[in-house]
Amino acid sequence: MSGLFLLLLALPLGTAVASALLGSGRAAAVRWLSLGSALASLLLATILSVQFAAARLDQTSTDAKSPSTFPDEWIRFSTRTNLLPLHTTANGTVDSAIQFYVGIDGLNVWLILLTALLMVSSVLVSWTAITERVNEFHAWLFVLQLGMTGVFASFDIILFYAFFELTLVPLFFLIGIWGGPQRQYAARKFFIYTLTGSLVTLLGIVSLALTLPQIESQRDPTRTPLLTFAIPELIAKVDALNDKLPKDIQELEQAPPDFEPHLLKERRERLDSWHRVQMWVFLAMMCGFAVKVPMVPVHTWLPLAHVEAPTAGSVLLAGVLLKLGTYGFLRLCVPLAPDASLRIGAPLLGGLAVVGILYGAFCALAQDDVKKLVAYSSVSHLGYCMLGLFALNEVGMTGSLMQMINHGLSTGALFLLVGMLYERYHTRKMADYGGMGSRLHLMAVFMVFITMSSVGLPGLNGFLGEWLVISGMYDFTGTQVRGTLLAGLSAVGVVLGAWYMLTMVRQIFFGPLKEPHREGHGVIGDLNGRELATLVPLAVLCLALGVYPKPFFKAVSPEIRVLAGIADAARRRAAAEQSPVPPRDIRQAATATEKK
Amino acid sequence: MSDVRSFLWLIPALPLTAAVFIASFGPRWLRRHSHWPCILATAGACVVAFMAFHSVHDGVSHFVSAHHGGAAEGEAAPDPHPHKTAVYYEWFKVGEAGTGHGVDVGIALNADALSTTMALMVTFIGTLIAVYSAGYMRGDEGYARFFAEVSLFVFMMTTLVLADNFALLYLGWEGVGLSSYLLIGFWFAKPAAAAAARKAFLVTRIGDVGLFLGILLLWSSFGHHLDYQNIFQSVKAAEEAKTLDYGLLTTACLLLMCGAVGKSAQFPLHVWLPDAMEGPTPVSALIHAATMVTAGVYLVARCTPLFMLAPNAQVVVATLGAITMVLAALIALTQNDLKRVLAYSTLSQLGYMFVALGSGVASAGKAFVTFAVVAAMFHLFTHAFFKALLFLSAGSVMHAMGHVIDMRRFSGLRKVLPHTHWTFLCGAFTLAGFPLLSGFWSKDAILDAAWTAGHRADHYAAWYLVLWFAGLATAGLTAFYTFRAYFLTFWGEVRIPHEAFEHHHGHGEHGGHSDRDGHGETPRLESPPVMTVPLMILSVFALGIGAALGPTGLFEHFVAHTPGFPPPETESLNWSMMLLSTLVGLGGIGVAYWMYVRQPELPGRLADAAKGFYQLSLNKFHIDELYELFVLKPLAGFTTFARIFDLNVLDGLVDLTGYMLRWLGFLARPVQNGLVQFYALAMVLGMTVFLIALLLKL
Repeated sequence: MSGLFLLLLALPLGTAVASALLGSGRAAAVRWLSLGSALASLLLATILSVQFAAARLDQTSTDAKSPSTFPDEWIRFSTRTNLLPLHTTANGTVDSAIQFYVGIDGLNVWLILLTALLMVSSVLVSWTAITERVNEFHAWLFVLQLGMTGVFASFDIILFYAFFELTLVPLFFLIGIWGGPQRQYAARKFFIYTLTGSLVTLLGIVSLALTLPQIESQRDPTRTPLLTFAIPELIAKVDALNDKLPKDIQELEQAPPDFEPHLLKERRERLDSWHRVQMWVFLAMMCGFAVKVPMVPVHTWLPLAHVEAPTAGSVLLAGVLLKLGTYGFLRLCVPLAPDASLRIGAPLLGGLAVVGILYGAFCALAQDDVKKLVAYSSVSHLGYCMLGLFALNEVGMTGSLMQMINHGLSTGALFLLVGMLYERYHTRKMADYGGMGSRLHLMAVFMVFITMSSVGLPGLNGFLGEWLVISGMYDFTGTQVRGTLLAGLSAVGVVLGAWYMLTMVRQIFFGPLKEPHREGHGVIGDLNGRELATLVPLAVLCLALGVYPKPFFKAVSPEIRVLAGIADAARRRAAAEQSPVPPRDIRQAATATEKK
Repeated sequence: MSDVRSFLWLIPALPLTAAVFIASFGPRWLRRHSHWPCILATAGACVVAFMAFHSVHDGVSHFVSAHHGGAAEGEAAPDPHPHKTAVYYEWFKVGEAGTGHGVDVGIALNADALSTTMALMVTFIGTLIAVYSAGYMRGDEGYARFFAEVSLFVFMMTTLVLADNFALLYLGWEGVGLSSYLLIGFWFAKPAAAAAARKAFLVTRIGDVGLFLGILLLWSSFGHHLDYQNIFQSVKAAEEAKTLDYGLLTTACLLLMCGAVGKSAQFPLHVWLPDAMEGPTPVSALIHAATMVTAGVYLVARCTPLFMLAPNAQVVVATLGAITMVLAALIALTQNDLKRVLAYSTLSQLGYMFVALGSGVASAGKAFVTFAVVAAMFHLFTHAFFKALLFLSAGSVMHAMGHVIDMRRFSGLRKVLPHTHWTFLCGAFTLAGFPLLSGFWSKDAILDAAWTAGHRADHYAAWYLVLWFAGLATAGLTAFYTFRAYFLTFWGEVRIPHEAFEHHHGHGEHGGHSDRDGHGETPRLESPPVMTVPLMILSVFALGIGAALGPTGLFEHFVAHTPGFPPPETESLNWSMMLLSTLVGLGGIGVAYWMYVRQPELPGRLADAAKGFYQLSLNKFHIDELYELFVLKPLAGFTTFARIFDLNVLDGLVDLTGYMLRWLGFLARPVQNGLVQFYALAMVLGMTVFLIALLLKL
């Protein structure tokens, strides 16, 4: 099965090369090839994710104790080969290397499926919209798919970064060549902004990987720890250090006979420096991911990029690329810097998330360009993802992950609809439209449906995400931030979200019919079969996730539990530090986990 | 009878099936027959609801007989609160509920006295209105869409009332909001309808956020459960263990109340309901009078075990109810649009229910709590019948008058619309609280509750007496504005707007029956039997149901057996209260008769004399304008600010950084001048400096 998974990476690459080689003359061939490839990817991703979810659904024993870190065997369909050996043992086996390590686990399974699904929509929506340099367009589109799938699938931190940066190049060309009037400015800004951020991320990632062996060897000079870049191993190492460093101190404090003050001081300093490392690593990783999400105030590249990008670019940008940021936080920041996530992440990013929810909504309310409205709504919705993530508990993080998928479906569909409207009338100004509901029945139905998904109507997907995210933050335990306050403020976004979306629906689709002026085109028809094929799967999934989310939750739950466990351990450490004598229940909880 | 759980799910499932069926096949194949699935499904749901009701009723009678006669030997004591809960399906589950701090929500329905009563009422009235709509909406372009949306509404409403946990209740709650949005905006090409739909959704959503946060607060503070029984029990346990945080509970109750205030259109979130009259009249009757707007009352009644421990929240509930009750009645005095008079009357009557809910303070005796809540529910029940009747009668008038509803444009319709006249009169008498009719009994119970609270409550007793007086005064106002509308519409000289005839000629098949004598002395424009028969059925219920269930105690003795309600005691009828409210009601009718039949020039003179008040009432106390000034304008200003700030300041800073780097590069550019000699010089100089530094250090 891991072969199938590799095919999921190879297929886009092959399609990109093939479509580039086909030449600009054979547009139809390129389109059909692309559609075939995208459908094949979707089929592969579906087979793999269904298998994965089915296995998880079969695991009935939920009360089994969750491990403290991620076991390697949880990564399914994995491939692991050495790319760049760094250290070889005496008998010639490589024991330290940068690896090509990919696979599927609970955190990425649905995001990989979402990517494959939105690729099909992107190819279909570009069918008539893209008429120039068709082969190049599709080639870049599939390079983008390779990059996105690769980021989600990577379990090696360097590989992750390589794919992360790989996504920039195709999107730069997609915006810069096939975009709107300001495309070059938008493409440049997008590229430089996100590249600058992610370079700092690289710094953080590498410095963590390099520092870990140093601290380990300081602690235990008898061993020579190896450099590793595999994410599960890094997490295990961080977890071990987090566990052992405070215990080293305790051990000395509680064992006075051979008391050595300088040793105690040294160990305390080691713990402090480890905390500082965590903090800087967290802040460095945050730079790249926060720009990608994007968090307010580093979001300004997004509306511009969205407005200028071709529809397929917008769909993938909103639907998948923004999730690379939130996914980075979930996959790397929280488990690799748990103490910093709790101390800095929860107040800073939780706070910024709420600012983003409200600020994005206010900006969306003031827009007259419908695409910009949807772009700002993304800023607002991604705020929910971040809020749930930094609730650092099971409910919140599950909600955050679900909200990533929800946003991909509903905002992807919104950009598709806006693109279809634009293709008909060549204007995105809402004031130019009115009463389109009586002209474009089906489009109006889809728009209202997706709007309801986006504003979180129960029974559709958006509701569950919002419910869990806000519940999670409401239930935040710890003194780092007032969870109820953040949750309460973020709930205001629920009203504002409905406000701008319904204003948009009313302006464009309700009221007396007012069609924008257009030059001598034929009759404007309702959605055609191809357009329905792009929208229907997304709408069906919005409903399916809303009424039967069980497979989703079951598939992600083990990993999220581990993450929640890691965060809880950080909470206990923080509480223990704040009060020299830990409160009884916390100590009991700590000892209880130790025993197990 | 088989277990209620085996068929309870049919109540929401049938309308849902109909909605999906009509939406899929209506526009293409069913077309003119699209009403059939809706009617059949709603009627079927009504039958099932009756079976469920009957099953709970059996449980209650079983308890009562056992209670009085002593339980038979060897038999378990019957439950005083018979209820059956069925979890049909796991909706969403994250972590473990309870100690695991997780969320576990099932699609769970609950049959108890309160929920089955509501479900029965909703489906019964829903069936009658669906039948009526088949006549009213005939020939409309969106005929199929209308019935799909009505079916969807019935599904959501029954889910709301049957839900066994707050999450499912919230699904129904938002779902009825969606149906309401779609149906108010049914004629979406009309700008007023489009605006009203959005306004309704947004204003109620403001309240819904409160409900949402209230639910989360209950979840997070009382043991991480979402189902009613677990929450109520953990609150009760905390109270008994004296560990209950009353501040927290009051906050939670006030947040829940926000949701109720939004959905039931209470002050200050009442502004959406009058505008919602832009929707088709059957919708106004079903959603905006009989069922959806009472969801707030249902919610507070359902949460009685919480509210009775939070007297501070209760007094807020009662006060907001009283403000709405008086304010809406005052506005209704001067409105010219018949449907708007009824809409404000709905607000006012809902206000009564909230007064009753807020009066049920535990300090006046636990049994009294149940008495007050049952009074609210009883008024909800009777109001649903007579207000639906009034709205549908008004719709019949509107249908006949070619969609004109302004009372200044027609009058004297007694002979023109004989059936409608009688049904409207039935509704009007009931609403006015005419002795022995339904409204009389239920309103009386509410006044009685407020009066008792005013005498027995430990706190705010005097305030409850003020509320009682406001209720009594509003009874007079109610009788007056109802009969003002009645006399203006049905008495006086016969005036018919020209649209009435155009309309009927325009739609040949539509009103063909009335064309025979369309231009006679008193033209017969009466609506078809498909509309008038439901009106007559409703009339019978509106007149009689109060007397049948009120003084006999049937309603009270059934609903009081809802789980969580304290055990009731039999209260004797308060004869002096009845006499007082009768006098006030008859007085109101009399004044209306005097002003609009005997002295028709008097209202104009009065309006001139009290110009200030008249204008204030006519303009709805300018509350919409106040919102515009204090909420919408600042919000618009703020959003514009956000847009400009984002574009110029935040993005400007980014661009500035870019320019700064460029500028730095520009400064350094002369260094790269391409002259090899210059580079050599620089190298030599650099080496020199380096060597000197090295030497100095040595």
